Amino acid sequence: MKPEPLRRLEDPSELLAQPRLAAVVEDAPGDERRLKLPLARLDAAAELLVERHGRLVGMFCVDRPEPSLLVSIAFRGELIALRAPLEGEVEYPSLARFSRAALLPERELHDRFGLVPVGHPELTPILHPDPDRITRDVIGAGTFVMPYGPVRSGIFESIQYEIETGGEDVLALHVRPFFKHRALEQRFRDLPYEHGTLLAERVAGIATVAHALAFAQAVERATGVEATRRAQRWRVVHAELERIANHLDVAMKLADDAALAVGVARFGILKEEIMRLRARLCGSRFGRGVVVPGGVSAPLLAPNDVLRALDEFERDLRRDRRLLLATTSFTDRLIGSGRLDFAAIESYAGVGPVARGSGVATDARFERPYGAYVRLGGDPVTSEEGDAQGRLLVRFGEIRQSLHLIRQAFERLDKYGPELRADLPPVDATGFGWAEAPMGEVVYWVALGGGRVRSTRIASPSLRNWPLFAASFRGDVLTDFSFIEHSFGLTPAGADR
Amino acid sequence: MLEWLARGLHKGIVTTGYPRRPEPAPAGFRGRVAVIEAGAADPSLEDVCPTGAITVRDGDVALDRGRCILCGLCVAADPARFTLVSDFETAAGSRWALVVGEPPVATLDAVRRTLGDRSRTLRRSIHIRHVDAGSDGADEWEISALTNPYYDMQRLGLYFTPAPRHADVLLVTGGVTESMRAPLARTYEVMPSPKAVVAAGTDACSGGFALPAGEVAGGVDQVLPVHVYVPGSPPSPIALLHGLLLAAGIVTNEIANERQAQP
Repeated sequence: MKPEPLRRLEDPSELLAQPRLAAVVEDAPGDERRLKLPLARLDAAAELLVERHGRLVGMFCVDRPEPSLLVSIAFRGELIALRAPLEGEVEYPSLARFSRAALLPERELHDRFGLVPVGHPELTPILHPDPDRITRDVIGAGTFVMPYGPVRSGIFESIQYEIETGGEDVLALHVRPFFKHRALEQRFRDLPYEHGTLLAERVAGIATVAHALAFAQAVERATGVEATRRAQRWRVVHAELERIANHLDVAMKLADDAALAVGVARFGILKEEIMRLRARLCGSRFGRGVVVPGGVSAPLLAPNDVLRALDEFERDLRRDRRLLLATTSFTDRLIGSGRLDFAAIESYAGVGPVARGSGVATDARFERPYGAYVRLGGDPVTSEEGDAQGRLLVRFGEIRQSLHLIRQAFERLDKYGPELRADLPPVDATGFGWAEAPMGEVVYWVALGGGRVRSTRIASPSLRNWPLFAASFRGDVLTDFSFIEHSFGLTPAGADR
Repeated sequence: MLEWLARGLHKGIVTTGYPRRPEPAPAGFRGRVAVIEAGAADPSLEDVCPTGAITVRDGDVALDRGRCILCGLCVAADPARFTLVSDFETAAGSRWALVVGEPPVATLDAVRRTLGDRSRTLRRSIHIRHVDAGSDGADEWEISALTNPYYDMQRLGLYFTPAPRHADVLLVTGGVTESMRAPLARTYEVMPSPKAVVAAGTDACSGGFALPAGEVAGGVDQVLPVHVYVPGSPPSPIALLHGLLLAAGIVTNEIANERQAQP
């Protein structure tokens, strides 16, 4: 299995100009392509793009420039937005016919906006889960359903799993998100840009910087103003520190699952050191308040102080990583657990370390580079194992890559002017923004008007990857559960919004 | 395994001395926002705050730390009136105290000494059950950080427990979403008395950024009685420790009162 990058769409103008699609091209910023087409043709156009290995990013019901159903599909080098105006209709042909990635978004749109995907195989309510309602697929002597959550053992976010089992083997697993649904997309309405980034930071707290970045970049692309060069470099530093902290958190939780007490302590120390460095750098352990529309807030540390701290951190990390991966009582639990193949990732449109751990080399930083990543360059870290071990190896590889990116970002910092922030004009426009969060690509759509945010939609990597977690149980047993779950490194807050 | 032992020893002791010794916050750390000058305020100041933590009444400004997300926009807008304080100990015993400030009962050192004595005398150790009722996920990271070697909560007799029936303290994050209402209430009901509830984080104190009506109840105290409020978005591990020790005091005091009441 060779790592496969997200593909480039060949001859897009010719492909999408087919008369049967009746698509009209609309103005869009670079690396974004917008098409307006009738609702009845939406599924045909989306199918065409998915067949050409486009990744279904999200489905949104939007109210600007007019009430529409919006489907965004990612390729290498561009994001394609198909927009079908809703002229009073509530029914549309379901995209789940050819893409499993449409299953959850279509159920959410049904609950929130009353849009009916015709042909959806399981159109049950999803937004307000009832913990006492139990689903059952497997029928057989001695099998039973074990509900796990929403209140679980340990310090975890709330989500519910229904585990169908005969006692040891996990026969089927159902994921029930949205216990934490906070209706945050609606909350963006009429906020000033600056308040919008603060809210985006709180959509998924452990990916604060990535969410703020995706939102700010959506606003910047809509207004046509880029963040200053110096700010773009600082954004890389904060985003990569966030990635390091998240990956260390996964390593720590996996060590905990294997009852490796010193390993838990060591990776806990490493993570805490990164959190403290972030607190010294910006006043918040999560990088809150760093990203502002048009730039960043002023850093509290000089680049050299950050670099010195990271040098020491890297020396410590190298030893702990080597030791962890040489501890067979630990790796035995990961090897072969929760295996996902290339086809599964593609059918669910998986993202982040989960996709990269199965040889799908998709990473927004390199396939549709934004900000300073355009100049920094690089390639996605991949593994071909497809199991929990593969995903952990990807994370360790990415920590090394993040440290390299931070050093690179600081290298040319002095060549840029001192401005940290550009002014954004009030415009009436819409735009997409994306960023690679530690758990995968997060995409924001915004509509601006009169200097304020009028509407926002979010496609979160956690919601995208959760069905893959359920699909990864093939012959795994109950005791593998926490290893597989933690190897995914997802956050319910981001999924539920 | 020997190698792990060596790795474990190599760093020496990193654990904080808190609460017996103060734990200073790094310069510039956003601990809380304080009002330096309350009078002669313009009502337009209210619009500066994204979560409605600032109110101006009769020209006097008040800041509700239970709603504040520490973004610092008010400090940037009016530095003569607001200031960021790099402080970890931000918990309070009532929702009201987050608005007007705690009465000046004693100096901070004395409070810390009390907390220190309390943790030493926790012979019957305190067990904590955590429930996420709709947080943004960052609060959970800070709570689980309490068990890392830097904070090592167990040294104070504080333990997390998965079983609500063994728990003394209910630690709740998030503003309580519609679907988490029932599971949260059920967890509280099965806990034995005496019990204390800690609302951890701005979301849990007031609902934070979420809409005041609709999906989110707007704070844990809309659903359960809350004994300790720990503001912060998210609260730092030391702030959580401070709040948990306050809650531990409530539980141990109640036990002592019950003993006295017995003939």
